[in-house]
Amino acid sequence: MSRFLGSLRDGIGFDLILVGAAMLFLLALAGLPLVYNVLMSFQQVDMFTLGSLLRPFAGFANYVAVVAQPEFWLVTKNTLIFVFASMAGQFVIGFALAIFFAQNFPGASTIRGLFLVSWVMPGLVVGAIWSWILAGDFGVFNAILKSLGLIQATVFWKSDPNFALWSVVIANIWLGLAFNMLLLSVGLAAIPRDLYEAAELDGANAFQRFWTITLPMMRSTIGAVLSLGLIGTLQQFDLFPALTEGGPANTSTVAGYWAWQMSFQLYDFAKGATISVMMFVLVLFASVVYVRSTRHEVRG
Amino acid sequence: MTRPYVPWLLLGLALALAAVYLFPLYWMYVTSLKSGSEIFANPPTFWPMAPDPSVYPAVWTRRTMGTFLWNSVVIASGVTAITVILGTGCAYVLARYRSAWIDFGLFLILMLQVLPASVMITPLFVGFNQMGLLNYPRTAVVLAAAAKSMPFFVVLVRATFMSVPRELEEAALVDGNSRVGAFFSIVLPLARNGILVCAILTFMSSFGEYIYSKSIIQDTALQPASVGLSGFLGPNSTDWNSIMAYSAIYVTPILAVFVLLQRRIVSGLTSGALK
Amino acid sequence: MKLTHLGLMAGIAFGAMGMAAPAFAQTVIKVWSIDGANAPGIADTLSKEFNEQNTDIQIDYRIVPFDDLVNEALRAFATGQAPDIISLDNPDFALFSSRGAFLDITERAAASDIIDTSVYYEGPLNSVSWDGKLFGLPKYTDTIALFYNKDLFAKAGIAEPPQTWSELVDTAAKLTDPSTNTYGITFSARAGEEGTFQYLPWIQMAGGNYDNVNVPGAVEAIEDWKAIIDAKSASQDVLSLGQWDSTGTFNSGNAAMAISGPWELNRMATDAKFDWGVALLPTQTEGGERSSALGGFNWGIFATTKHPDEAFKVLEFYISQDERMFPEFSSIPARNDIALPETGVPLKDAALKVFQEQLKYAQPRGPHPEWQKISKAIYDAMQQVLTGQVPAQQALDQAQATIKGITG
Repeated sequence: MSRFLGSLRDGIGFDLILVGAAMLFLLALAGLPLVYNVLMSFQQVDMFTLGSLLRPFAGFANYVAVVAQPEFWLVTKNTLIFVFASMAGQFVIGFALAIFFAQNFPGASTIRGLFLVSWVMPGLVVGAIWSWILAGDFGVFNAILKSLGLIQATVFWKSDPNFALWSVVIANIWLGLAFNMLLLSVGLAAIPRDLYEAAELDGANAFQRFWTITLPMMRSTIGAVLSLGLIGTLQQFDLFPALTEGGPANTSTVAGYWAWQMSFQLYDFAKGATISVMMFVLVLFASVVYVRSTRHEVRG
Repeated sequence: MTRPYVPWLLLGLALALAAVYLFPLYWMYVTSLKSGSEIFANPPTFWPMAPDPSVYPAVWTRRTMGTFLWNSVVIASGVTAITVILGTGCAYVLARYRSAWIDFGLFLILMLQVLPASVMITPLFVGFNQMGLLNYPRTAVVLAAAAKSMPFFVVLVRATFMSVPRELEEAALVDGNSRVGAFFSIVLPLARNGILVCAILTFMSSFGEYIYSKSIIQDTALQPASVGLSGFLGPNSTDWNSIMAYSAIYVTPILAVFVLLQRRIVSGLTSGALK
Repeated sequence: MKLTHLGLMAGIAFGAMGMAAPAFAQTVIKVWSIDGANAPGIADTLSKEFNEQNTDIQIDYRIVPFDDLVNEALRAFATGQAPDIISLDNPDFALFSSRGAFLDITERAAASDIIDTSVYYEGPLNSVSWDGKLFGLPKYTDTIALFYNKDLFAKAGIAEPPQTWSELVDTAAKLTDPSTNTYGITFSARAGEEGTFQYLPWIQMAGGNYDNVNVPGAVEAIEDWKAIIDAKSASQDVLSLGQWDSTGTFNSGNAAMAISGPWELNRMATDAKFDWGVALLPTQTEGGERSSALGGFNWGIFATTKHPDEAFKVLEFYISQDERMFPEFSSIPARNDIALPETGVPLKDAALKVFQEQLKYAQPRGPHPEWQKISKAIYDAMQQVLTGQVPAQQALDQAQATIKGITG
């Protein structure tokens, strides 16, 4: 007993309690539901068995059925486009803004603060606003583009199969920009100034400094931003029902929305779970990237 | 090298960028002040012909927004409390060591985040039902949403702990402090700013919690503002000025707090305030 | 601390509300419906009135948003938390009744003094029946028809609303005027139940049905729709607009015709600043077969209820108020023994007559327990054609294959 108390005060016991409490909490509230979904993807589910764990075993039947859906490959393609375009947009613009606001000019930090507002905007509200901005006939986005002479005819952002997915991407970049910029600003601020000064004395230009100092120093930040960004993008849900409902003809349906649609619109809970388990693979990949990126961390 | 007008040029550019970025917000406020037919005008008007702010008090009372917003505050506070209490310690330990176990822990935390809330809700509902937690719906939502915001908090706060010099903690241990003592008297105070900022960010993002609340909380008097808004966005509503007014009432207080605190938030995270 | 404190206060408040009723043993009947979210509706108003009668039954009414109603009900049913009574959109009803999740009320209805199943229209009654048994009762019904702006028709020199599909395409083109931002027609071809609701009648007019969607006429119909959109006689946003939004553009004068239902009448009577009328949906050929969609909600009692007798009494009370359905809630009762009184608004009364005529041709969607999947196959095909991604015949053939796989 006293050994335990001792370890609590000085040794590994204290650490275990701190980590253990959080882990237990997460395992109960996120781990069990995960297991439930994985289990459900191998079972036959109906309204009578929704509440129990023991259900007829279905093997890989649900997986086969999901892949056999006519929209499967379309959804896969959309998911990849949505994830890469959203993340690229959020990251590149976020990085550019972070660097821009790291410059020394009056009001820099105040104006940067304004860019963080999308952080506090509930997705539902953002979806409603963008749905309104991107409307075809009376949307303000078209009106602006027309007055700038960029387009002649009305673009039906939400109803044209060529643009529907991009309208969600645009809204999602707007929504996720704050997060990217914030984390990247934090990473930038942690780079010692004298590194740049030394490089400048050596005659390195701005691009070389970015390539040889900024990027390598920010490896772990970038890893965190990208992996959290991937998870966030895959989980993005609120924008879809507000903007396109996955239409027209599934051209803007992505995996997360499809899983929801299977479960909650078509009431096929097993297929919904199956799709979400398939998304797993992508996030697994992201987590490995993140954890690997922490290897390069330096302690202050 | 640097010419005196460059900072002002940058300021101008920054303001222009901010104007573009904040346009959706502007549009929310402007639309809320327009009349029903002006909303559908083509081309749209950039300033309402006859601004009508009376929609605000009307929406406030008709939608019982006071109750909704209070519930949002209650839920967000609960989520933040649990996340900070459980997440801080976890982040500290994950920052303190470097081993395969720590890698595994980080990996696990991210993996547990993988499923979207819309897929998690059914098993959570079933579990809460079995534990009888559905009778305390707001508590149930707080627990579920805290599990969702925890990974993000841990990753950010872990970064904060990384920048607390290890030597300070070791010096405290040498001086006869226990690990517990060193944690509370040295490490926590040094990481305070970062934790505070992450707590604020957690609060703000859980202020918009929607999916769990809408499924778990059946009693309207206990629902948060996001669920109240979705009741508006049903298939038969194009009451767009009211929707936008509701949205504006919903987000303006958090926006205001945010703009007031943003210097602290940004500096708390960027300059570290730790060094 | 604060949390429990508040909970306590809420508890006391609830207690006080309960105290207003007499203190003998009461049975609480839980009722779920979508009514009452934006304005007083049927279920919330009637429940309140029922509670004011102070019988030994009290209704605990809950508003559930339309989009969440079925999955909330499924989840609640699976965990033993189902309400006693629910009101569902008619195509969703079979999901529950086919699996015995609803109480079989065949005998109760036959013994009831208030309920007479012979007065109901066939379509609505079919949607509450399964396997020859009665699992619920229709709450109200509706359908769709063609609204037209008489002022714009007069301006374009068109005397009559279009009678056939090809006339509809021509008329829409004639009425389109980009200079005033006026489209010829608006409808809803959205990726959802509303899209199927609007397209299925055209399939049925051509002799098809939900399980036979690739008939030649169905191809022709969707090609006509595509022609309308391609000619810009309708906004391409009909692919994402719901019926309420889409009809909103008619009300504001930005569309000369609209396909929509009687739920619009109240709004249109106040919003539309022009003379308007309603016509039956055009048919494939002159004097061809008519059809329309059957909308509306049904009442059902969950089989898990602990108080079937009391729940049935509540149901009887709701049904007994059917005469108020149109005057108060502008919903049409699904039965032929109620004469709808004049509202005093001539445009509305004229419109109602057309809708009652159109209702005779309305056909239910399904009933089929997997209706939503069938519906998705139909609206997916519809959208593929309208966006020009897949030729009509091919898209409908694929939908037919999908539906075949569902219906067996």
